[in-house]
Amino acid sequence: MRQLGLGLAMAAAGLAMALQTARADDELPIGVIAAQSGSFVSAGNTIVGAANLAAQQINDAGGIKVGDKTYKIKLYIRDNRTDVNVTIAAARELVNDIGVKAIWGTETHDFSVSMAKITGPAKVLQFSGNSSLGAVLDDKAVADDGWLHYAFQSEPQEWQRSGSTAKGVLSLLTPQLKSPPKHSVVFVGNDATGQYLSSHYVKALEAEGQKVDLVQYPPDTTDFSPLLTRIKGMKPDIVHFWYNGDSTLTAFPQALKLGVAPSYFLFGVDPGIYQERSLKADVPVTMSCVPVCWGSSPFPEVKQYFDKYFGLGAAKGPQSSVSLLYYDYFFWYAKALEKVGKIDDPDAVVAELLKSDYKGVVSPVPLVFNKHHQVTFATEVCMVEPNTSDQFKCAVEQPPAAPPPGDNGG
Amino acid sequence: MDIFVQQLVNSLSVASVTILIGIGITLIFGLAGIVNFAHGEFLMIGGMATWFMVGAGMNFFVALVFAGLLVGALGFAAERCLFRFTLNRPMNGFIMSIGLSVILQHAVIRVFNEFQKSITDPVGLVWTIGGVDIIAMRAIVVAITAVIVAITYFGISRSRYGMALRASVSDRDTAELMGIPVRRYVTGVFIYGSLLAGIGGALMISLFPITPFTGSVIIIRGFAVSLIGGLGNVGGAVVGGLVLGLVDGLSAGYGYPEWTDAYSLVVMILILVLRPQGLLGGTLGPKAS
Repeated sequence: MRQLGLGLAMAAAGLAMALQTARADDELPIGVIAAQSGSFVSAGNTIVGAANLAAQQINDAGGIKVGDKTYKIKLYIRDNRTDVNVTIAAARELVNDIGVKAIWGTETHDFSVSMAKITGPAKVLQFSGNSSLGAVLDDKAVADDGWLHYAFQSEPQEWQRSGSTAKGVLSLLTPQLKSPPKHSVVFVGNDATGQYLSSHYVKALEAEGQKVDLVQYPPDTTDFSPLLTRIKGMKPDIVHFWYNGDSTLTAFPQALKLGVAPSYFLFGVDPGIYQERSLKADVPVTMSCVPVCWGSSPFPEVKQYFDKYFGLGAAKGPQSSVSLLYYDYFFWYAKALEKVGKIDDPDAVVAELLKSDYKGVVSPVPLVFNKHHQVTFATEVCMVEPNTSDQFKCAVEQPPAAPPPGDNGG
Repeated sequence: MDIFVQQLVNSLSVASVTILIGIGITLIFGLAGIVNFAHGEFLMIGGMATWFMVGAGMNFFVALVFAGLLVGALGFAAERCLFRFTLNRPMNGFIMSIGLSVILQHAVIRVFNEFQKSITDPVGLVWTIGGVDIIAMRAIVVAITAVIVAITYFGISRSRYGMALRASVSDRDTAELMGIPVRRYVTGVFIYGSLLAGIGGALMISLFPITPFTGSVIIIRGFAVSLIGGLGNVGGAVVGGLVLGLVDGLSAGYGYPEWTDAYSLVVMILILVLRPQGLLGGTLGPKAS
């Protein structure tokens, strides 16, 4: 009797292991590393939201057919707590213990680069939406034996985004002002990302004929009135609130009360948020989203995407559109896997991604990775009519063909 | 000249919220001997509560009172359940308060979300006087702060309660022998300081949006203000707040703007090196027994 019991137990254990193996065989493990706590939580949550939506849609459609098998995506989501050390630990766990095939994230440059030191040697693909990765993605780094061979930048290079944005802002504001704008002030947080991003945007504005002053504020500033008063004294035609949507939403109402400039540009503030907060200005205000706006997009597929994205419970925030820097790439990656016919050949998947294109939600023009694993697409800029909160006019200006003078393109 | 006067006006309103949190810290740290690093989160919760109540249709000034009471109650709970056990070990209390601040941040994220919250300017007026734009709500914030400072100052320096409290700080054992219920006074100070943080949060959200992380930024300035002025010294907190406000405003206007925070902290360091007891003098802070 005892032997029978032991035998049954062993058989049950064997069956459970077989089932486990069978389930694992049919699953495609994909990691997501994003800030779900800490100061980058606004951006981090959008990665998780996009990943959940994409995985759900792919799985509901039957999964990914690779060779003669069909795989369902199994997400392994890790909170990096806005901490580089936690990010590294999470990457090690996902790569070494779980054996994910690809990782989506993180939202910040330094963290992404640290992760790439783990994903690269393990031949795990990494999709990071940092425009600043352009500083490290070069010929040597992305070569077959390079440390970033498996890393992909899912956002355009900063000189492209800045160029597209600057053109969009000026094209919308110029007809609204008494005389063509000549003097711009770029107002930006003084952190590594702010410094990097604004250096390109200043060059992009100068290339459009603007005299530009750069005013940097300490990160986490809440009372901007002294700095805005200083800017008012410079008598600018346009104040460009750059980079941090949350800070911009704090500073902009203060600027309106102080009457700092005859026009404004709010980077990373979605028309949807402008409308939700019932913001109103008696001067023309432009805003842009990274990459397209959820509040006022002229593209039906974008509207459809955000309906589903928010339908899953994602919060409506100034950075919700960032989710699109991650969503399309799930489908593109799935398409590449299907084409390659194997899930265990990352080199072939990288090669396939580099030679294929993908028409997704983020851009009406199909996405293509260049030789440095970077994509190109335009940034949407919208203008709200003075004294309204919901009357928007949007423009999508294509990025310039080359970096402007003085911009090394990194 | 207009711009210079505008900078002075700006500085005054910035100083007000800083003064409120500084007073709370100076009382709790300097008189009760508790280093509460979660005090900034108390302010944040006051702001969040105000946002919630105003969003539900309550008048801002009524919400301000409720926010103060709510955070005062939170302070009571924190003192009774946590800090009373660390009165003789201030370092334990300090570390515990850091943990509490993180817990409160994430509790707020869980209850609401991580995005910044703001309310419509409750007054919505801008007065232009001689080319200087004075935002009416900022003037009201300054006025409310002035009233609270006056009440607190006279409460500490003139009232029977205040004298007993100061006696407790000077010599706790003797004060207890004289029949002063020191523990109860500590609780009272903690509640009052927390109430001020709640009001500070309400006033803050009337001027600027706040996030669950606002408290961790403002707390540094709160400690700076209380140390510059002198621990436990209400007048000192006012002077400290004004000094920091002026340094902030004028350095942002005329110095390197990206160094604004550094200027005020350099001033704090200089003052503490030259006058360790603070500008107006104060207690020696928490003492381990």
